[in-house]
Amino acid sequence: MATAETDVEVEAGYEDKALADANRDILRPISAPSWRYWALLGLVLAGVAWGGYAWWVQIDEGLGVAGITHPVMWGVYITLFVFWVGIAHSGTLISAILYLFRSGWRTTINRAAEAMTIFAVMTAGLFPLIHLGRVWYFYYLLPYPSQRMIWPNFSSPLVWDTFAVGTYFTISLLFWYTGLIPDIAALRDKFRGWKNKLYGALSLGWEGTVEEWRHYRRAYLYMAGIATPLVLSVHSVVSWDFAMAVTPGWHSTIFAPYFVAGAIFSGIAMVITIMVPLRWAFGLEDYVTEYHFGNMAKMLLLTSLIVGYSYAAEYFLAWYTDHPIEQASFLWRATGGYSLPFWIMVFCNVVVPAALWFRKVRTSIPALFAISIFVNIGMFYERFVIIVTSLAHEFEPAAWGMYQPSWVEISILGGSFAWFFLWFLLFSKTLPTISIAEVKEHIAHAQGGHHE
Amino acid sequence: MSDGADGVLARFAELGKTEDAVERLREAGHHQMKVFSPFPAPSLEKAKGVDFSPVKRWALIGGITGCLTGWLLTSGTQIAYPLVTQGKPIVSVPAFIIVMFELTILLTGIFAFIGMLVHGRRPQVGMSDEYRPEFSVDRFGVFVPVGAGPGRRDVIDVMEEAGAVEIEETDGEREPEVAG
Repeated sequence: MATAETDVEVEAGYEDKALADANRDILRPISAPSWRYWALLGLVLAGVAWGGYAWWVQIDEGLGVAGITHPVMWGVYITLFVFWVGIAHSGTLISAILYLFRSGWRTTINRAAEAMTIFAVMTAGLFPLIHLGRVWYFYYLLPYPSQRMIWPNFSSPLVWDTFAVGTYFTISLLFWYTGLIPDIAALRDKFRGWKNKLYGALSLGWEGTVEEWRHYRRAYLYMAGIATPLVLSVHSVVSWDFAMAVTPGWHSTIFAPYFVAGAIFSGIAMVITIMVPLRWAFGLEDYVTEYHFGNMAKMLLLTSLIVGYSYAAEYFLAWYTDHPIEQASFLWRATGGYSLPFWIMVFCNVVVPAALWFRKVRTSIPALFAISIFVNIGMFYERFVIIVTSLAHEFEPAAWGMYQPSWVEISILGGSFAWFFLWFLLFSKTLPTISIAEVKEHIAHAQGGHHE
Repeated sequence: MSDGADGVLARFAELGKTEDAVERLREAGHHQMKVFSPFPAPSLEKAKGVDFSPVKRWALIGGITGCLTGWLLTSGTQIAYPLVTQGKPIVSVPAFIIVMFELTILLTGIFAFIGMLVHGRRPQVGMSDEYRPEFSVDRFGVFVPVGAGPGRRDVIDVMEEAGAVEIEETDGEREPEVAG
C-alpha cells in the first residue's frame, strides 16, 4: 500500500471524493451480473472448452498431433509459456517496484495488474505441462526423495524455472491477497447472509485496528521488497532456458535484461488492454483517469525503446562476433522463411509504439488501446521469432527445417487466452478491482486529513 | 479477542481528530483502548504508540531458512546421490545460487505473511463486539474499556472535545449473563 508517508504529490483526479464514495463506487460492480456478463462468460468458457478438447486430443493421441518436430522441438507451447510469464511481469512492476519508488499513480491500477499477474502465471504454468506430452510425468521436475534415488538436475535451467515460476506464483498470490484483506473486510460489511460469512472468512476477521495495520504495512513492504528482485529473476531464468544452450540466436549474455524489458513491455500493454474495457464497463472513469493511462503510455514507450535497442544490439553482436553461423542465423531471421513474423515483431514493438512520443496519442485512450493490441501481438511474435527461427536454422544445413503449428496448437493458443480472461472475469465480479484502502488513503492525504 | 468489555466507543469522521483523542486518552493512561481505521494511517499508529513490528524478524528468519534450505536441497542431494553429468562438477555453485535465491524469496514472503497474521492476531472467528461496519467505510473508531463511574465521564469528555461524531456506551450489548 502507498502510505501517508508518500511524498510524491499526485493529482489523480479523485481527490475531492468522500471516503464512503470509494466503497460505494468500487464495490458497486460486485452485484448480480447482467446478461452481457453471462454472455461474455459463456464465450470464454466455450474457448476454454475448445482448448481443453485440443489438449485432450493431444494426450489421447500423443504429441504427434502438434506441429513440433525435428528440428523445431520448441514451438507455440514454449512461445506461449514465455509470453504469459512476460505478461505477468508488469503486475509485479506496478504493485511492487512502483510501490518502493513511492509512485502514487499505481494506486488505482495495481490490484487489477496483480490479478493479471496471478492469472497469467496460472496460464503460463500450463504450458510446460502441455508441452510435456505425457503430462502425468510432470512430477519428475519436483525435488523429492524417490525410489529412483535421483534428484532433479539443479544445474538445468528447466529446474531453475520450476523454482522461479513456483516462487513467483506463490509470492504474487500472497502479495495480492495481503492487499485484498482490508478490502474483503469492506465487502463483508456490505453484505448480509452467506456472502457476509464467505467474505468474513476470506478477510480472516480483519477489523482495521492500528496494530493490524502496523503489521500489515510492514509485511506489505517486505513483500514488495522481495517481489522486486524476484520479478527480475523470473524472466532472467526464463531467458536462460534459451541462453544456456549453444544454439545460435539464443546463446547471448544480453538475454536476461532483454527478456525482462520485453516482459514489462508486454505486461504494460496487457494492463492497458484490460483496464480500458474494465473501467468503461464498471464506470470507474473517476478513478482510472487519463493521468494513469498517460503514465502507462510513458512506460510503454520506455520499454519499447529498450526492446528496440535489444533487437539492434542482437544484430550488432552477431556481426561483431565474426561467427559465420551466428551471422547466418540472424540474417536468415530477417530474410528467410520466417521473415514475416520477424517484421511483424519489429513493426508492432518498435514502429507502432513510436507514436507514443506524441502527447496527443498518449492521452487518447482509443489510440492507446489500439497500440496495446499491436504490442500484445508483437510480443507473441517476438518470442516465436526467438524460439522457432533459432531452432529452425542451427549449425547443420542438413538439419534445417520449418515448423507450422497444427490446429491443436492454435486451439490451445486460443484456449489459453480464454482461460486467462475467464479468471479475470470471475475476479472482476467477486473482488474489488481497485484497492479501496489505498484510494481512501490518497483521498485523506490530499484533503489534509492527517497532521504530523 | 476482547470479549465485549464494558466501555465507551466513539466514532470519528476525521483522521486528525481521531489522533487527538487517541493521544489524549493515551496520556490519561488508557493503554487498553482499541483504535479502528478504514485505511492505513501511520500517524494514528504513532498517536497510539504502536511503532514496532516484529514482522521484520519473521522475514529475516524466513529468508535465512530459505537460503539454507536451498543450499541443502541442491548441494546436499547432489552429494548424497552423486551423478556426474557431462563431466560437470557435482556441486555447481553458480547454478545452485539460483535455487537458493528463489527459496530465500519464497520463505521470506511466506514468513512475513505468517508474522503479519500472528502479531495482528488473525485469523479470528467472529468479530469483536466493539467493531462496527462503518469502520471499513469512512469512520474511525476509538474504544476505551472503562467501567461505569467518574473515569468513564472523563473519557467521554475527551472524546467529545476531540470532536467525536457519535459516542456510545457498550454495556448493554453484552449477553445478559449476570441477569440470568
